Amino acid sequence: MELQELRRKRKSSFWSKVLPFVPYVIQSGVAVLFLLLLIAFAAWYTNFLQNIPPGLPVLWIMLLLLGPMTVYSSFRTYMQPADIIFLLPREADMKQYLSPAHRSGVIYKLIGLFLILVLVWPLYIRSGVDTKPLWMVLLVLLLLKVLSAYGSWQELRITTVRARMGYRLLRWCVILLMLAAWLWQPAWKSLIFMLLVGVNYVLALRFPMKHAVAWDNLIEAEKIGASKVMMWLGWFVEVPADGQKVIRRRWLSAVGNRMPWQRSTAYRFLITKTFIRSELLGIVARLTLLGMILTGWNGASWLGIGLYLFFTFLIATQLTSLHQMHADSPATAFYPLPSGAHKTEAIRLASRLLLVLTVLMWIPLALASWMDNLMWVLLSLVIAVLMVFGLRSTWVKKWKDEDE
Amino acid sequence: MSETPVLQVEELSGGYSIGRPVLHDVQFTVNKGEMVGLIGLNGAGKSTTMKHILGLMSPHRGGITVQGKTRGENPEAYQSSLAFVPESPLLYEELTVREHLEFAARAYNVAKEDYEERAARLLKLFNMEEKADSLSMHLSKGMKQKVMIMCAFVARPPLYIIDEPFLGLDPLGIRSLLDFMIEMRAQGSSILLSSHILSTIENYCDRFIVLHRGEVIAQGTLAEIAVQAKLPGAALEDIFYSLVKGGD
Repeated sequence: MELQELRRKRKSSFWSKVLPFVPYVIQSGVAVLFLLLLIAFAAWYTNFLQNIPPGLPVLWIMLLLLGPMTVYSSFRTYMQPADIIFLLPREADMKQYLSPAHRSGVIYKLIGLFLILVLVWPLYIRSGVDTKPLWMVLLVLLLLKVLSAYGSWQELRITTVRARMGYRLLRWCVILLMLAAWLWQPAWKSLIFMLLVGVNYVLALRFPMKHAVAWDNLIEAEKIGASKVMMWLGWFVEVPADGQKVIRRRWLSAVGNRMPWQRSTAYRFLITKTFIRSELLGIVARLTLLGMILTGWNGASWLGIGLYLFFTFLIATQLTSLHQMHADSPATAFYPLPSGAHKTEAIRLASRLLLVLTVLMWIPLALASWMDNLMWVLLSLVIAVLMVFGLRSTWVKKWKDEDE
Repeated sequence: MSETPVLQVEELSGGYSIGRPVLHDVQFTVNKGEMVGLIGLNGAGKSTTMKHILGLMSPHRGGITVQGKTRGENPEAYQSSLAFVPESPLLYEELTVREHLEFAARAYNVAKEDYEERAARLLKLFNMEEKADSLSMHLSKGMKQKVMIMCAFVARPPLYIIDEPFLGLDPLGIRSLLDFMIEMRAQGSSILLSSHILSTIENYCDRFIVLHRGEVIAQGTLAEIAVQAKLPGAALEDIFYSLVKGGD
């Protein structure tokens, strides 16, 4: 079979497994809530654009929103572990299999990047800073995105882990620096700067030792890419959460070691250790941080309280994937775990974490407004805590129904 | 009065779809302090038998008891009475070697002091001390197999179900495993062991069960199955070859 045809078949096979879930995503209450929030955000944003606060750091906001989107790069190759055996003899022809991954790795992400740009553009042109034409900004973002995707692909080919991590860090620094130069400096100056830095970066990528085809890295990257799609689906519907990226996080290794030594804590031990090394922890931490910044910024205003409750709900949505962790693992069936431990411990961990994070997000809100608006500060906490308990009882009922 | 067998499989028929059983009236016992070899060609039904014993599959007919109790009577007590080492290691990528041992010890209600003593000994015995704090995803296949074996032995249940344990193990690992199984047997544990390396298990197992196309075609001590194969004094490999060839 032709390699391009093989990739096409694998791609359609993967998405044919995902697409049947889409109607459930649309039907789920979470999707409707997101839609409502989107409408509310649009209304708020329109109003905000008409009354932009003086001194708003628009360029920093643009860098914060566009920067990570420009640097972030991933590829779906649909490669499988068995390819090491069956496709290795055709390594010389793998270019035709992998080249569609390069294209789609850039195109789909560009759509997201341009959407963010369109969203932030009205803010940019109203901000009073020396603006550049839209077509030039689009072109620069396209070039930076292509450069980042090229760098990211070369990183996958690098043979040593340390060098790969080093070059990843370099890519983030280089692209963010170029974007910042473009935003803050005059066009001609920043273009010269970008050209010089870009050429040096591409030259620097030639130094490390690389595989012709990095089979292991590509298979691992594909596994992570596929699991991210399933994780996203998992926010709305029940899907297996296996195959997600595991991050060592040595500094958290001691978490869970002091649990009471009983059979009833065995599953708690497993799920806690899994959580501290999961991508979920990173997602929840980033959301909490963002929630803290936004609530601290807006204080106990309607918007601040709305954002506080929204982030509490958003984190709760993420934490529901704890229920899927190891749910289908055959290994769990070998161990004499107490009946129902899986559900009980997932609910316990999710609700306790949510409660702690809810209080954490409340602190900046309280610090910003307790002098002026103590009643609303306290009331927001009460509402959020009630929401946590409400979500907990929803999980208990929903997961019990599913188990039955 | 004779002692209740640790494992009793009675007229077991079962498989993946009703009406097409893989196992046909399989019947055998494993007694206290006994190591029994379950041997057969690929597809003979060894792993299916083990899955039935573990409760991962439900029998179409017949029954299984561990220490006189069926799984239906008390699933938790039944599961606590046995430990399983699967053919392919099934580990949690997010846990280190030591955490796997701790998880197994907690699940089997092993006292903390016993866990610490057993874990230290097993890590040393299987030459895994340096890897104790490595994530299982970073281990070689043989090392993963060692972790599975250590998890079973840290639990110390009355019955071990061990499926092809030697695959991927280095010679030192095979020797350590065999020595440890002998020690466990001497302490009264029972072991049901499946392996294709007949020359190795010949000298270690007390009895053998020969499974062919889902049926037990011979069982007993080496001498007894040699008689059944009409090859008195022959090696296990020759006996097995004669039995399965005769069964075709």
